[in-house]
Amino acid sequence: MEPLNEDELSDRELDAILREWTAPPAPAGLRSSIFPVASRPWWRNLWTASIRIPLPAAIAMAMVLAVVAWPWIRPAAPQANAHELQPVAVLRPVIIRSGE
Amino acid sequence: MTPEKAFDEYHQAVYSFLYRLTRREDIAEDITQECFLALVRAPERFDRARGTMKTYLFSIARNLALKHYRDYRREAPLEGEAEPAADPRATLELRSAAAEAVAALPQLQQEALILFAYEGVTLEEIAGIVGAEVGTVKSRLHRAREALRRTLAPYRKVGKE
Repeated sequence: MEPLNEDELSDRELDAILREWTAPPAPAGLRSSIFPVASRPWWRNLWTASIRIPLPAAIAMAMVLAVVAWPWIRPAAPQANAHELQPVAVLRPVIIRSGE
Repeated sequence: MTPEKAFDEYHQAVYSFLYRLTRREDIAEDITQECFLALVRAPERFDRARGTMKTYLFSIARNLALKHYRDYRREAPLEGEAEPAADPRATLELRSAAAEAVAALPQLQQEALILFAYEGVTLEEIAGIVGAEVGTVKSRLHRAREALRRTLAPYRKVGKE
């Protein structure tokens, strides 16, 4: 569309002037402010990871863990081998009476 | 499309749109950040059937800019108040003349013009972004360009030099 008179720009003239107004580039730090975790390797997060557990839940979990683990951590009872057992040659029972 | 990929592809367009809408780099940065954080927090809100990721992001950006304008109307007006320089040949600042002329447009014309002329968004897409009929957007764009033709006419010869 051409201008109707000298007081108006043509489409081409208008577009040329509008193109002069350029926007600055987006700040470089924008990405890290939106995706802070994604920018780090996952294994690095393990060093700073933390969880919050209520104390009663932590105590209950510790007790359950102790009960479950007890069969594995208690000292083993001494076991005798079959070949170490010998029959009693002479049986000498000792009778203890009251008053003696 | 993941939020990271959407950011890589469209953050400059969203930032440019907001910069031209607000004419403030700091505000454009803040709203661009809010825009993509909204996408990160609720990516399921994007409905492919209703438009592209680009138009969805422009729509969020526009709504956040309007909210910002309502909250901080006195500090960061979205609508320009400055008039072009009385003697444009004295300044030769076509860039600021264009910025000020666009800023002086009514807000609805302003956003339509910025999306169409600077971001290459189609009339149909603008209609989806601003929630209006295509004919309405076309009319706003026409009125905006008519106003700019007159406002920027004194810069014609400067532009040719």
